[in-house]
Amino acid sequence: MNGAGPPQAANCDRQRWREDLHRFLRTLQKPGKSLAQLGDDEGLVASGLIDSLALVQIVVYLEDTYGIDFGMRGFDPDSLASTASILDLIAEFRS
Amino acid sequence: MFVDLRVGNLAEAVSGRRWDRGEIGRQVATRVARFQSRGVARGDRVFLPFGNRLEFFAELCALWRLGACAVPIDPRLTPFEVQTLAGTANPRLAVVDDATDTRVIRTLIETGIGVIDTTDTGSDELAGGLSQLDDDALILFTSGSTGAPKGVVHTHRSLRARWISLRDALGTAPFARTLCLLPTHFGHGLICNCLFPWLSGQDLFVTPPFRPDIIMRLGAMLDEHRITFMSSVPAVWKLALKLSRPPLAGTLQRVHCGSAPLSATAWEDIRRWTGVRQVCNAYGITETGSWVAGLANAEGPAEDGLIGEGWGAVIKVLRVAGTSRPVSADDECAPGESGYVWLNTPALMKGYFRRDDLTAAAVIEGWFSTGDIGLIDERGRLVLRGRERDEINRGGMKVYPADVDAVAERFEHVRDVCTFALDDPMYGQAVGMAVVLAQQDDATLRALYAWMKDHLAEPKMPSRWWVLEDIPRTSRGKLNRDAVRAACIERPALDLVQLLAAEPKR
Repeated sequence: MNGAGPPQAANCDRQRWREDLHRFLRTLQKPGKSLAQLGDDEGLVASGLIDSLALVQIVVYLEDTYGIDFGMRGFDPDSLASTASILDLIAEFRS
Repeated sequence: MFVDLRVGNLAEAVSGRRWDRGEIGRQVATRVARFQSRGVARGDRVFLPFGNRLEFFAELCALWRLGACAVPIDPRLTPFEVQTLAGTANPRLAVVDDATDTRVIRTLIETGIGVIDTTDTGSDELAGGLSQLDDDALILFTSGSTGAPKGVVHTHRSLRARWISLRDALGTAPFARTLCLLPTHFGHGLICNCLFPWLSGQDLFVTPPFRPDIIMRLGAMLDEHRITFMSSVPAVWKLALKLSRPPLAGTLQRVHCGSAPLSATAWEDIRRWTGVRQVCNAYGITETGSWVAGLANAEGPAEDGLIGEGWGAVIKVLRVAGTSRPVSADDECAPGESGYVWLNTPALMKGYFRRDDLTAAAVIEGWFSTGDIGLIDERGRLVLRGRERDEINRGGMKVYPADVDAVAERFEHVRDVCTFALDDPMYGQAVGMAVVLAQQDDATLRALYAWMKDHLAEPKMPSRWWVLEDIPRTSRGKLNRDAVRAACIERPALDLVQLLAAEPKR
């Protein structure tokens, strides 16, 4: 697990998580929508990029990739709303 | 019991809006006056391309008080699909709300159909007369939105037969505070999840349908509104079991799951999460007023495909599916032997709207051929084993391959097309499409995608496409969708994401 490191390292981590997340989202996204044109704060479901049920797959991705246990920590739907909120969730867990 | 509006209270579980019986009576009366001032009379049909809000139920009751027929429409249909349905049903009016697509409203107006907003009621009130039992009450279009619409017509008599059958089988106590998360434009959500409890005097809480943020808070919502009953489709539980905390208040008494196959594993998962043993796989078909069989006492162990006993219905499993000759005891399967499921119920539809040919192909002497495959077990319970119907079950919503084919076929460069079901881990099934094109370049594919998106509601859009040189057919020239699917899944599908992302900027 990463501890809270210098800001540069944290930015590096966040960038890597973002790339990994986007790679994963591309496997779920609907055709005709552009992940590249979606701002990090824009809603993934609200924008139509992914289907609501894909949120379950994102949860499984976060459990498998980062070991986040939603059963233990509870679940806030807003934490999966956008790329930024998912990255915040990962950062919170990693710290 | 069902004619004089001794309904339960109505509430929107998310917004918190609620109407008590007195307010419901006023809301219905203002709409009766409004409809009458617009010339709506007995036998007229009125489109309702919105739902899952308080006003929808007031519109329904007001129409029924005038002897008119309500036609709830999926709000996600494209203008093309709505126009197709309107061309068949010839509605006198359409009632819309602020969420109705403006393109749909424009299409309705251009088609010569009057459009009014559901909140535009005026202050005059009128009681209206009562519908007669054999008036058409409801038309639910189940397929054909892109070509030849197939509308299930229910009269007040058939609907009441369904509700009285459910009351006899299940009582009303478990439904005291009912939650509906399902869309109100199809039989399961409307006739059974909503109208059965509400018109029996029980309180109804509705939410916008299939909203993930709502399903993720399902446990808290059940507690907050002290919900005693909810129905569902398996896809709801994919989200809720994973992402929502369970209910803690212990108010829930009974849960139904329907519209798609429920595995024994999912069944037991739902029981664990809800803390309720009375979870059952409700067998519903629009033509029979939805829930037509299930387990009144659902205490027993879950089993794959287990439905249970008929609720106001006689169930037979026969070796034949066709309606060319009357149902005969000679054709009946032995217990445990799989065959075609037939139903006889007073809740059977009047028929398909202006499609006597389709009605004759499905009904003979009151017996309805469901197209489902099943058996009667040694305890006399129906167990489903599969479907012969040509449909794709996408999380409980039915997509008819012919509807998708009909849209693709109209695109100028399409030579042949075959839509089929694909296995999907979340929805159970997804929509796949094989297409033969006169031109196979990217621009043509992008144009075809845009064409289909313009003409097909989002849930019907194929998610995986294959471009083939030809589509195999039987010796009689018929499509064998299973064979086409088998041929397709052996090879990679088109990368639609990349194809569409590469679209040249206009």
